[in-house]
Amino acid sequence: MSSHQILDPAQHADLRIHTGASARFGDNIMGCLTTPAEFRDVQASYPIVFRRDITSRKFSPLALFGFENGENLFLQGERWDARYRPMSQTIQPFLIGRPASESDIAQVHIDTASPRISTTGEGMRVFDEAGKPTPYLEAVATQLAELDEGYRQTPEFCDTLERLELLEPFSLEVPLKDGSRNSLVGYHIIAEERLSTLGGGDLGELQARGYLLPIFMAVASLSNFSDLVARKNAKLTLG
Amino acid sequence: MTGPIHQVVIVGGGTAGWLSACLVAARRPDLSVTLVEAPNIPTIGVGEGTWPTMRETLATIGISETEFLSACDASFKQGSRFDGWVDGSAGDSYLHPFSPPPASDMRDLLAAWRASGSGTPFAAAMSPQHAACAHHLAPRQRSMPDYAAALNYGYHLDAGKFAALLARHATTRLGVTHIAGEVVGIVTAQDGDIAALELKDQSSVSGDLFIDCSGQAALLIDKHCKVDWVDRSDVSFNNRALAVQVPVDSDAPIAAQTIGTAHRAGWLWDIALPTRRGIGCVYASEFLSDREAEEVLRDYVRTKVSSLAADRLNIRQLSFKTGHRAKFWERNCVAIGLSAGFIEPLEASAIVLIELSLKALVDNFPTRRDVMDIHAARFNELFRYRWDRIVDFLKLHYVLSRRDEPYWRAQRVPETIPEQLKQQLAVWEDQPPSLWDLPRVEEMFSPASQQYVLYGMRPAKTPDAGPPSAAALSRLVEVREKARLITTALPTNRAYFTAAQSQTPAKVAPGDAIPK
Repeated sequence: MSSHQILDPAQHADLRIHTGASARFGDNIMGCLTTPAEFRDVQASYPIVFRRDITSRKFSPLALFGFENGENLFLQGERWDARYRPMSQTIQPFLIGRPASESDIAQVHIDTASPRISTTGEGMRVFDEAGKPTPYLEAVATQLAELDEGYRQTPEFCDTLERLELLEPFSLEVPLKDGSRNSLVGYHIIAEERLSTLGGGDLGELQARGYLLPIFMAVASLSNFSDLVARKNAKLTLG
Repeated sequence: MTGPIHQVVIVGGGTAGWLSACLVAARRPDLSVTLVEAPNIPTIGVGEGTWPTMRETLATIGISETEFLSACDASFKQGSRFDGWVDGSAGDSYLHPFSPPPASDMRDLLAAWRASGSGTPFAAAMSPQHAACAHHLAPRQRSMPDYAAALNYGYHLDAGKFAALLARHATTRLGVTHIAGEVVGIVTAQDGDIAALELKDQSSVSGDLFIDCSGQAALLIDKHCKVDWVDRSDVSFNNRALAVQVPVDSDAPIAAQTIGTAHRAGWLWDIALPTRRGIGCVYASEFLSDREAEEVLRDYVRTKVSSLAADRLNIRQLSFKTGHRAKFWERNCVAIGLSAGFIEPLEASAIVLIELSLKALVDNFPTRRDVMDIHAARFNELFRYRWDRIVDFLKLHYVLSRRDEPYWRAQRVPETIPEQLKQQLAVWEDQPPSLWDLPRVEEMFSPASQQYVLYGMRPAKTPDAGPPSAAALSRLVEVREKARLITTALPTNRAYFTAAQSQTPAKVAPGDAIPK
């Protein structure tokens, strides 16, 4: 259960957050939301795929960490073995809240049920003793703002991809060393062939909207599947 | 005797003896190491503060930091704070932290510090450690590898438990032979070397090199070798100490540095461990009676801990002669620890001298008897120099004081100030302490240490300098930024040790990265 509160210097004066990686902090997940604005960083380590929400029928981009629920192949004990962690991970347990749905005034909220909230006095302080934000909270606030902006741009990005038929269903059958097979179904990826035959008008639109770069980053990210398979095999070997 | 040196025999089983055993055995596994310890001799146990060198020492002898911390009831020491040393007024306090000022021209940094003009103490302007100490923070996170840190640190420890840990480690993991027995005689070889020790049970222990760690008894270096004692009480007046241990609540803050508080005829130490505070009153008997000293100690405990604790003190009295041997290595006998010399525990020089002695000994271990005298002469010259520097550096703390009591005025009488210190003070009128003052490799007290004391005690007297460079100003901004990052990321000492205790054996929390 999550429980959201507005972050408040008085109420959360001594709050400390565990920022490390661990299954006990909920990092044993197979993927997380990402946004086109961070595709460049994400594609350096993770495959980027698109998932269609069953009810809204809308697409969202995801960074993949594993092949099945609860599997994060980058999590090695208490270490996240990649140079970049997607922002939707690093900002936890914080989130952006808005008092009214139409309001532009963003507030930093915190999920008080998160296992990242420290009870031991270890972890990163959120406020200093004067009640001012620490460098950690400043960094989180910057990331939250970037992420929020990214989330706002994502629907239009995905709608455009869909309209131009640039998303195609994707399934991956992974033969593993031990003879078993892992399959990944239900995701979409950028339709590369369609992309290469796109007309000048459509390309011009993508270019004008700044979508070309993230599209090509998403295409490039798919080469990370071989790394993901290698990680899976290494895990099987180690038992 | 010209044979190979193979058998090392250590006399005495305190901190010095067991550290010697561990370091010789760990670094020279080809040697045979035997430690002879008289049963039922209590350790002196005043050496309860270490320098940062202890981290390397422990790593060298192969003891994990987690094991060390829990076995010795140890805590982190990030420096020393001196309260009341300048004039004894309220707020008279300065810090000598272990982390140095920014690596930049000190004259320029001083100008930048002056230009900021906000009354920031020197140490606070120069090192983020000041902020960590002010908030009782640990210098590291538990997820960091052993002995790694965000800030430089040594330890506060229980000396009795430390010796016991070293003894276990030496005998079970390093192959040191432990003989419980009282030395009653010494067998001398024809050439005058020590050939063997005779024990009370009529057995004997022969060796090629003997290390005298028998403490103030100095069984070998004094009683047998008759090496002269060099008295330094003309410079360093203190000759008595009263020591107590005061239990603390399991949630009380653990101070991040040794606190030395001046009183009218000496000073008090205050060393915080997770379970207790070691507090002691150091004084000069010429200026303060034992009864008066006890009152000073009780007053301190009453105001700084509780009146309940002050009524229940179990006071141990120590008296000591300040000085050292004229030679520390004579023929095939090396004195290490209190047998070599003693000076008041200001700046905690006792344990570091043991470490430095062993480093010098093992780095230059004589393989044959015929080169031993050459090494001995070099060792004696080096440690004579080091003792002089310790005496000078401790004296500096008194010379800069403006306190007015007879004891403090006597400390400033020119005849009691060593010549080299006088010269340094004269040079420091015009330029900051620098490598030019003490130019040897591995000086005990760096220019940073001299600067922290000098500008901690005399913040208004910096050498004339022009306006600061932009670079120096930005160095000081970086120190402030680093202080903000550190106070964000580091836990308090208390939180660190509580969490460590609840998770023994070592299963540490994942890293909370210090943001770049």
